[in-house]
Amino acid sequence: MSEIVFSGVRRMFRRNGEDVPALDGIDLTVSEREFVAIVGPSGCGKTTCLRMVAGLEFPSAGEVRVGGAAVRAPGPDRAVVFQQFALFPWKTVAENIEFGLKSKGVANGARHETISRFVELMGLQGYENAFPHQLSGGMQQRVAIARAYALDPAVLLMDEPFGALDAQTRTVMQEELVKLARRNPRTVLFITHAVEEAVYLADRVVVMTRRPGRIREIIDVGAIRRAEDWDRFERIEEVMDQASFVHLRTHIWKLLREQQQPNEH
Amino acid sequence: MSMDRAALTRAESWGLSFAGLAALLVGWTAVASSGLVPPQFLPTPLAVAERFVELTQKPFAGYTIQQHLVSSVGRYLMGFGLAALVGVPLGLAMGWFRWLDEVVSPLFEAVRFVAPIAWVPFAALWFGTGIGGPTLIIFMGAFPPALVNAYRGARFVEPRFIEAAQTLGAGSWRVITQVLLPASVPSIVAGLRISAGLGWQSLVGAELIVASSGIGYLLVKGQAGISTSTVMSGMIAIGIVGFAIDAMLRRVEAAIHARRGR
Amino acid sequence: MRERSGRRIAVALASVGATLVLWQALTATGVIPASRFASPREFWAALAQINGPGYADAKLWQHVLQSCKLVAEGFVVAAGVGVPLGLAMGWSRRFEAFFNPIFLLLRPIPPLAWIPLAIVWLGLGDAAKVMVIFVAAFVPSVINSYTGVRSIEPYLVEAARMLGVRRTAFVAEVMVPAALPHIFTGLRLSLQAAWTTLVAGELVGALRGLGQVLNAAAQDIYPAMILVGMVFVGLCGGAMTWMLWLAEKRAMPWRAA
Repeated sequence: MSEIVFSGVRRMFRRNGEDVPALDGIDLTVSEREFVAIVGPSGCGKTTCLRMVAGLEFPSAGEVRVGGAAVRAPGPDRAVVFQQFALFPWKTVAENIEFGLKSKGVANGARHETISRFVELMGLQGYENAFPHQLSGGMQQRVAIARAYALDPAVLLMDEPFGALDAQTRTVMQEELVKLARRNPRTVLFITHAVEEAVYLADRVVVMTRRPGRIREIIDVGAIRRAEDWDRFERIEEVMDQASFVHLRTHIWKLLREQQQPNEH
Repeated sequence: MSMDRAALTRAESWGLSFAGLAALLVGWTAVASSGLVPPQFLPTPLAVAERFVELTQKPFAGYTIQQHLVSSVGRYLMGFGLAALVGVPLGLAMGWFRWLDEVVSPLFEAVRFVAPIAWVPFAALWFGTGIGGPTLIIFMGAFPPALVNAYRGARFVEPRFIEAAQTLGAGSWRVITQVLLPASVPSIVAGLRISAGLGWQSLVGAELIVASSGIGYLLVKGQAGISTSTVMSGMIAIGIVGFAIDAMLRRVEAAIHARRGR
Repeated sequence: MRERSGRRIAVALASVGATLVLWQALTATGVIPASRFASPREFWAALAQINGPGYADAKLWQHVLQSCKLVAEGFVVAAGVGVPLGLAMGWSRRFEAFFNPIFLLLRPIPPLAWIPLAIVWLGLGDAAKVMVIFVAAFVPSVINSYTGVRSIEPYLVEAARMLGVRRTAFVAEVMVPAALPHIFTGLRLSLQAAWTTLVAGELVGALRGLGQVLNAAAQDIYPAMILVGMVFVGLCGGAMTWMLWLAEKRAMPWRAA
């Protein structure tokens, strides 16, 4: 029901009157409840892939299907968490979380119950009536995640969600997301620049080439995580200290390094 | 749902714009020709165009329309020039020297809320219908934006520019001329553009009341003679000059921004 | 910081005070002739006159009321038509393409230039003034509302679409609130234009109003009354701007102070 399938997806864009390929033939399947992270150099088209699943952009060739149906438009079944948070500044925290529920037609009582549940889950107690500008970046992104989860979406799409946060907040959010994802599993597509983040969070990591973007390699991180039992550690730094983790990270780093040309901007 | 922001094709865009303009002109012509309104009150667009051309050849209220315009532009340049010459240096100085800001600002704020047009009675009292009157009113209109924007440009220069200059050993005078002044230029130019626009508007207002020549005077005389085509011709002329002034200053602004790589 | 602002106020008062003293001195000694400008004492006398027995056929409050009434009428209609039109032009590229040329033509014509035309069409009464006030206030409202919609961050629109927001809800709960800051800028500019145009219109010809006070005082060569008129033009303009500012604060409680 929530499987994501990319079949022969190509995406062109026009530059100086010419058609330039941004994505050049992507074939990828994200299984139900699987957490897949995409890493790659800037401009490789990883965000474009996410936006095509979201229905905010469309392929020039090939198809993107979710749960068997072709993607035609954005919708709450494929909830998006944006890098810029995209909270509505004129709505309170509670109202922001509520907005999608109202559009879905969820009844008043059920809405309030859901909001309370997610406020508690994301540690937002006491901030229900605050406006976004009163919150730190990390808190705002928690609200954005709560808003997405409250929709009970089949698919969760996260576009460099922690990119705008400082390093310490970022680490905390990664830990929280892992706990959340284990407790509330669903199909997740996660875009990031940070290799460590991808290895820590994902079941599989897709490494893309630079433009025109193709899939270079897909690494089954989950298998190693289970084999080495990383989940026994509470803290992220303990996981990142594991030899198996370092090995994976370095491998992916090398793949990405190959992509860099000298004097690349 | 989606906002209808998809880019229109060239054809669609031009087509709709043409349609809008056409609707206006056609509607106007229809009402004018229908006989509902006497022709002096609402001439057809064509009649206005004809009258405009006529005014470039036959004098009305003393001069042809170009001569009236030249007269107006002359006054305008005096008032605007004065506003720029006084406003920009004063604004810069207020931005650099706190004490000056503290002394002058309260006085400026007090007078600021008085619409420039309200100075007309004093202008008439002090200058009659001479050139001083409109100049004063244009000055009162053009002065505040010139001052305020020069002030902002001077005051809000990035501190790191100043610090960089100082660490490089520049003395106060050099800091002012080589760092503060160039840094303020975009603000100054933006202010002058607004200033120019407000000054032109003030000129028109002034000439409606205290002039014996000029484009505003032409409007008044046209109105007195119930010649709508004359009045509309005057309005078009005013619009064209105002647009030209703004376009020129936008060019200057763009050139400055281009040089700075914005 | 407290010390700083206390000092600022002191300097401000000193500056204003010094100016007043200078004013008194210049007028008392005759450096500024009485026919050209008024002394502070004469100003007060004129103020008392217009307040009490009245001037130009009415008392001060009647003149103020008349002026403010016309501004309110023109402004409200202009904003009521202009803001929705600007929003619609921002929403729809088609709308924008259709109405744009009309605005490009109207925009360069200064509002005051409409006064003679309004007088030809509607005479010297209130109707002509309201028409010109409308024209003056209309354009800034449209343009700024349009800009307000065009400047909405794209990711907010995408978030709304992702959340499945329907059209009416989108307009009411996303587009309008997002555009409000720009809308208020437009309203502020509209009000300014409306007030200026009103004063100009009344200077040209009116039975009552602050502009008429200025006019009559100019004809009577009564500098003190001109000054009174100008002061109240400033005060009323300032008061209306302040009220709009209050409305803005109430309408957007979410803004960082």
